[in-house]
Amino acid sequence: MVEKTKTASFTRRNVLAAAAAAAGAGFAGRGPVPPVDAGDSDDDVAIVKQLTGKIPAKSDRIHLAMPRSFPNGYTVPLSLDIDSPMTEADHVRHVRVFAPRNPLIEVARFHFVPRRSEPRVSTRIRLAEPQYVLAAAEMNDGALLMTKTWVEVATNGCA
Amino acid sequence: MFTPIPRVQVPGVAAKGEIFQVKALISHQMETGLRRDPQGEAIPRKIIHKFACRYNNVVVFDVDLHEAIAANPYIEFYLRATESGRLEFIWEEDGGQTYALTHQLTVG
Repeated sequence: MVEKTKTASFTRRNVLAAAAAAAGAGFAGRGPVPPVDAGDSDDDVAIVKQLTGKIPAKSDRIHLAMPRSFPNGYTVPLSLDIDSPMTEADHVRHVRVFAPRNPLIEVARFHFVPRRSEPRVSTRIRLAEPQYVLAAAEMNDGALLMTKTWVEVATNGCA
Repeated sequence: MFTPIPRVQVPGVAAKGEIFQVKALISHQMETGLRRDPQGEAIPRKIIHKFACRYNNVVVFDVDLHEAIAANPYIEFYLRATESGRLEFIWEEDGGQTYALTHQLTVG
């Protein structure tokens, strides 16, 4: 039995392959692309762009709080807080969380309603290995604000 | 297998315009679909994939949960007290089963 929701799963391999193909088209004829460091921010931007269809802007209005190191990957605490007045004219539509080094990248999407809910949540997530966790908030004007935080886990929470 | 038990922690009374905290928890294995049983067969995915909070029948907060949400999913969020009424919390599981709780809030 196949769940409809399953089809929306993104893996790191699919996403990076598609992102590389898209980037490659732009670089055609310009020679080899220089290698990038692991954990380079271009990689994160490419992943977020691939998953959301928008180019994210690094912002200090979005705060992602997670422990820098955590003994197990099964229940890693995560808190998100976005600076916003939450009026009709200026609010957060939703915020998405990605863990690019998990077998499935998408973690969650939180939807907010202006004047009714605050763009502030806490939950607990699974992480397969040490990585940057990414958060991308879509504002009512369509802007995508992004931040990331490094989390070191000692055990695989996805096995 | 066990029956998921939903729980919420919400104030009973809030001042008009006040922002109040909601803590929502459901006991649930959140089987990711990535694991295999001892015979090597894939264990099918069964997670809570949606959580929503309605305030007098208006959705004021909702979440799409994926496989990377920890077992016994816990969600803490913040709502603005606008009027007295009913808060409804709904968890949706793969396969269509839902779990729900309601809470009466007095705004004075």
